[in-house]
Amino acid sequence: FLGAGGGNDIQWCFSQVKGAVDDDVAEADIISTVEFNHSGELLATGDKGGRVVIFQQEQENKTPSHSRGEYNVYSTFQSHEPEFDYLKSLEIEEKINKIRWLPQKNAAQFLLSTNDKTIKLWKISERDKRPEGYNLKEEDGRYRDPTTVTTLRVPVFRPMDLMVEASPRRIFANAHTYHINSISINSDYETYLSADDLRINLWHLEITDRSFNIVDIKPANMEELTEVITAAEFHPNSCNTFVYSSSKGTIRLCDMRASALCDRHSKLFEEPEDPSNRSFFSEIISSISDVKFSHSGRYMMTRDYLSVKIWDLNMENRPVETYQVHEYLRSKLCSLYENDCIFDKFECCWNGSDRQVYIVMTGSYNNFFRMFDRNTKRDITLEASRENNKPRTVLKPRKVCASGKRKKDEISVDSLDFNKKILHTAWHPKENIIAVATTNNLYIFQDKMN
Amino acid sequence: MLGKGGKRKFDEHEDGLEGKVVSPTDGPSKVSYTLQRQTIFNISLMKLYNHRPLTEPSLQKTVLINNMLRRIQEELKQEGSLRPVFVTASQPADPLSDNFREAQPAFSHLASQPLLPTDFVSTTPLESCLTPASLLEDDTFCTSPTVQHDGPTKPPPPALQPVKDSFSSALDEIEELCPAPTSAEAVAAETAADDSKDHHSESNVQKPEGLPESRTAESKLMDSLPGNFEITTSTGFLTDLTLDDILFADIDTSMYDFDPCTSATGAASKMAPVSADELLKTLAPYSSQPVTPNQPFKMDLTELDHIMEVLVGS
Repeated sequence: FLGAGGGNDIQWCFSQVKGAVDDDVAEADIISTVEFNHSGELLATGDKGGRVVIFQQEQENKTPSHSRGEYNVYSTFQSHEPEFDYLKSLEIEEKINKIRWLPQKNAAQFLLSTNDKTIKLWKISERDKRPEGYNLKEEDGRYRDPTTVTTLRVPVFRPMDLMVEASPRRIFANAHTYHINSISINSDYETYLSADDLRINLWHLEITDRSFNIVDIKPANMEELTEVITAAEFHPNSCNTFVYSSSKGTIRLCDMRASALCDRHSKLFEEPEDPSNRSFFSEIISSISDVKFSHSGRYMMTRDYLSVKIWDLNMENRPVETYQVHEYLRSKLCSLYENDCIFDKFECCWNGSDRQVYIVMTGSYNNFFRMFDRNTKRDITLEASRENNKPRTVLKPRKVCASGKRKKDEISVDSLDFNKKILHTAWHPKENIIAVATTNNLYIFQDKMN
Repeated sequence: MLGKGGKRKFDEHEDGLEGKVVSPTDGPSKVSYTLQRQTIFNISLMKLYNHRPLTEPSLQKTVLINNMLRRIQEELKQEGSLRPVFVTASQPADPLSDNFREAQPAFSHLASQPLLPTDFVSTTPLESCLTPASLLEDDTFCTSPTVQHDGPTKPPPPALQPVKDSFSSALDEIEELCPAPTSAEAVAAETAADDSKDHHSESNVQKPEGLPESRTAESKLMDSLPGNFEITTSTGFLTDLTLDDILFADIDTSMYDFDPCTSATGAASKMAPVSADELLKTLAPYSSQPVTPNQPFKMDLTELDHIMEVLVGS
């Protein structure tokens, strides 16, 4: 495995951990999404209880030079509430499936958050001044008796303790029959797409009562349904291009200029099955759980159950690179099918937009997460655990022993804790800071600065 | 020899489940493949039917599990339709042929080929019995693995006649319901009836030494597999029904009344008699088979009761 060392290798150190310490995990605290904003100053998490927590990085000039700013809670708000679908007699979960930040245009920050059915645009704004000296109102808000007013004054703004307010500015509802799995903001910053199991809709950020259906794979006869949409994303530069992945391991690239309903793809990315690896579970493990364009838009990355694949948009018949995340699980697929772990949806992310470096990161079980360096072709396995929480101490690489004699410090496959899964990870857009979500804790790691 | 045979099967069971699946054409691993397939089939069914959350189940998961079930069903159908007819060369002992006679009429009734009972080599050592793929297929489907055919055919013992009659009449009904049954489905239906189990125990008792191992082992196989093959036939029904009614279409709330899995305790025994009726009510409009109005559904009821019992784990 890749050890620490080498000129360009990043040495990851623990920085912070957020969340409850006890082993008893409250269901509502389960983290369901993690996302940095475009500057990296803000880090948002969504949880199963429908809450969004935003952390803000301390400014550089306030922090000691040997570490980057710490992230502290900036705002917490209830984004979605549980609802009840009376027609189907089913609850609609308030769990936040995805958060996507809009680029900052003014003093306020905007993000989109979505649960299974409804997308909301939230405005997060700061208030650090308040008007004082009203003529008709007391400071506590009570109205003064006008007859007691003898002089007039102009109210002035005085500083106050910083207050961060989140207010829902748009609610995009009633457009999805099935569960929303993805939202993606277009590079025009005016429109965005939302994808559920069978359809993808296009919205304008200003318009909530209308959305356009751009992909519909629902068959006329639902009995014939064999494939669902699992993720979708807009191209980072081409505002007419987006991709969506499926449960059969395919990715379709569509051009919205071609037709109103993009049911016919422009490109179809699919790797032929390796016959030597065929099993009952081939289809299930080929199901793509996440798709992410590279910053340049030249490549895209997909995550399926056992691997991460890098695709060149110009080559449809196979990925240019494949990285095995936890190949040792291939022999355990039946058990993982039985306990449902095989359906876990792992996400993946690219490193920040450093043009020299291409690293991809994704999570695994036992609170392990993996990084693959595309240039050096080396990989590393790290663990997010409170035991490693000495700041500025380099994380020790982990190794899973697939079979045979277990070496010291290795962990055997059978000792892996499949309840400790890292599904969500995020990389700071500019710096080597990563956010890794375990079940209910958020870990922040930084590279060691010298 | 018994122990060796039995152990091997269980070992293969362990490896086969977890290891890479072997091609269906491998010799001795055919058993593990079939075992693995059946186990996965059962797990898949359990997943589909046991999961009754307050929120909508994940469509992706449902679709993937359904695809799994369909694939296995397809395989089973294909294998069933390819079942060959064997004629054995060796002459068995008389008591042996008497015992196996019980199973023969059932098979001959079902076979779309000429009404020859399907025959298997029986006196070869256990390992060889397991090896040929087609033999193993038949083993797993028919539950009376080795049937002897001797030249001069003997009439079945009179004691068995009533059994045969009710059995074949039940099979008649199945055939009417499914106009073109594959051998697999029909045979599996046969296993659903209690009679087949009686066949087993009787034939298990009076065996020459060449056979008891395979018999007992096979019976053990059948018993150890949760759900058994009785699920197989009606899954065609149930799967269609489920896809139509429960999983994809707008949900008719009456289906929630019928659901056997909402509560873990107490509901099971109460549910069983009700659920079969409810199922039938809803089965009728959704069945893709042409069904005459006065079609007796009693075979379905028995099967469905079986299935419900299995599903609710009673």
